[in-house]
Amino acid sequence: MAPDTLLSLRRICRSFGGIQALDAVSLDIARGDIIGLVGDNGAGKSTLIKILAGAHDPTSGEVLLEGQPRKLSPPAEAQRLGIETVYQDLSLIGTFTAAENFFLGRELAHGRGPALLRWIRLKSMGDTAIKGLDELHIDIPGVRSKTVERMSGGQRQLVAIARGAFWGHKLLLLDEPTAALGVRESREVLELIKRLGAKGLTIVMVTHNLDHLWQVCNRVVVMRRGRKAADLPSSATNMEEVVAYITGAKEAMTAAAMEAGA
Amino acid sequence: MHRAVMTADHPLPETSAPAEAALPVAQAGSLPPGMRDRRALLMRLLGTYGTIIVLALMLAIFSVLQPGTFATIGNFRNIINDMAIGTIVAAGLTVPLVAGDFDLSIGYVASFCGLLVVGLLSSGLSIPLAVVLVIALGTIVGIVNGLVVSKIGVNAFIATLGTGTIVVGLNYAYSGGIPLQLTQSREFTRIAIGRIAGVPHLVIIMAVVLILLWVILNRTVQGQHIKAIGVSPESARRAGVAVDRSRIVAFAIASTCAAIGGVLMASNLGSGQVTAGDSFMLTSFSAAFLGSAALREGQFHILGTLIGVLTVAVGNNGLAMIGAPIFTQFLFTGTLLVVAVALGGIGRRFARG
Repeated sequence: MAPDTLLSLRRICRSFGGIQALDAVSLDIARGDIIGLVGDNGAGKSTLIKILAGAHDPTSGEVLLEGQPRKLSPPAEAQRLGIETVYQDLSLIGTFTAAENFFLGRELAHGRGPALLRWIRLKSMGDTAIKGLDELHIDIPGVRSKTVERMSGGQRQLVAIARGAFWGHKLLLLDEPTAALGVRESREVLELIKRLGAKGLTIVMVTHNLDHLWQVCNRVVVMRRGRKAADLPSSATNMEEVVAYITGAKEAMTAAAMEAGA
Repeated sequence: MHRAVMTADHPLPETSAPAEAALPVAQAGSLPPGMRDRRALLMRLLGTYGTIIVLALMLAIFSVLQPGTFATIGNFRNIINDMAIGTIVAAGLTVPLVAGDFDLSIGYVASFCGLLVVGLLSSGLSIPLAVVLVIALGTIVGIVNGLVVSKIGVNAFIATLGTGTIVVGLNYAYSGGIPLQLTQSREFTRIAIGRIAGVPHLVIIMAVVLILLWVILNRTVQGQHIKAIGVSPESARRAGVAVDRSRIVAFAIASTCAAIGGVLMASNLGSGQVTAGDSFMLTSFSAAFLGSAALREGQFHILGTLIGVLTVAVGNNGLAMIGAPIFTQFLFTGTLLVVAVALGGIGRRFARG
């Protein structure tokens, strides 16, 4: 394992009833990687992301975080370890402001003890959220006054990713961050992902839009039928080859080649 | 979040230009232009200010019709005093409603607590002890509600119907269905009937409960979590909110307020009636739903519930003052409720579209 490896998956299997969703998947994620995770529906992308997010436990296999074997579930444990997930539905509270969403479940508050006796510091939460967004060069008006349901889809996505980046100091998982967005909004989101990468954040992103792989990712991981079909530097591959791996026109690397390539 | 907006289904008069200008939250840019835009704004306006507009209209009309009796300080003091207990119960109910849960047991809890406090006083308990025990019992019923709903996963509607019915059973087991007279501790009645500097105790207690609940919902971490689970329990859970605990706290608050209401009711009546609090259930739901169409479209909140109670109280009082028969009060409350909730819901859909 290379010294800059942040997280390693070792022969991870996961089955649901009789269905083998993941079959001996190994993956080394290096610090600063922006990995694009692609594959057909049912190829195992979501299951893999959920393993990383702590939402699923592997049936077998090992997870090493900074060289130490770790259990990532439940999601709160993954969060505690610095792994944040931005789900496709964004998991924002529509009637809350961006600042309130930023701190949901981790409110800044005076006092200790039960939540009933802890006084929320709305001003500090607003200030911190504005600062956090500023640092990421995200310009959204009304961070502390406008509820997110009054924001555009693109703004909501930016808020959700910024929240993930704010808390996920080790690894940020993005599930189809541009799925419901228009062209201009997609570009803004991709720009943000690039900036996060430039700041040294490690990102794994599920995407259906293969163009994005070359716009923001340094690595492409292709899943097919629960196995890792390919793991390539994006500079060393092209659309044609990735599509071939996704559809199975090109066969998966042998296990040995995969270990060596990783 | 992405519901279709079918403006053509709501053939409503067009709003005037000043109405548009008066709505600060309008986001004209994201809505289709023209008439559709104006209709959406009107719906939002009605969903947000509908109940308040009705309240203001009633105040104006009844004041014109009965300036000598309706529009007097004495009458308003009566209205506020009479609605105090109902407001406490309704404000308590608002908390689980904010969390997205129903509580049908509050009326039965109020009845039993009112009866029980008189019973305990008659068996020689001191007033503070009897009151504290009975309110604690209310809290426990709420915690049981919350546990059944969150840990066992029974639908809140059914769970609280069940616990409420059990409370009715306890009530009859204790009383045999016969009202209890307050034989000892007559000073118990002073809790509800007394005044401080001319202000009735009931009004002071109502104000304290309202302020406390407002602070809990709007200034504590617990309140933030209760609001979040009411919008999206799954998102809240993913963000690390203790969803089950928040639901239990919300039920406990509602039931505690119902118990306080029951105790005040007994103090006010000077006796323990078997079913005196039952009607709080329906009036509380009416008030909370009316309140959801006040100031915040389609959202339950404490100030809204207060406005809801006030609207019903002013309406009923005014109708009585102009000599309208009793049945008109029910027609009025029922119609108002349906219209207000319809507008609130529609307003919200437009806002989200």
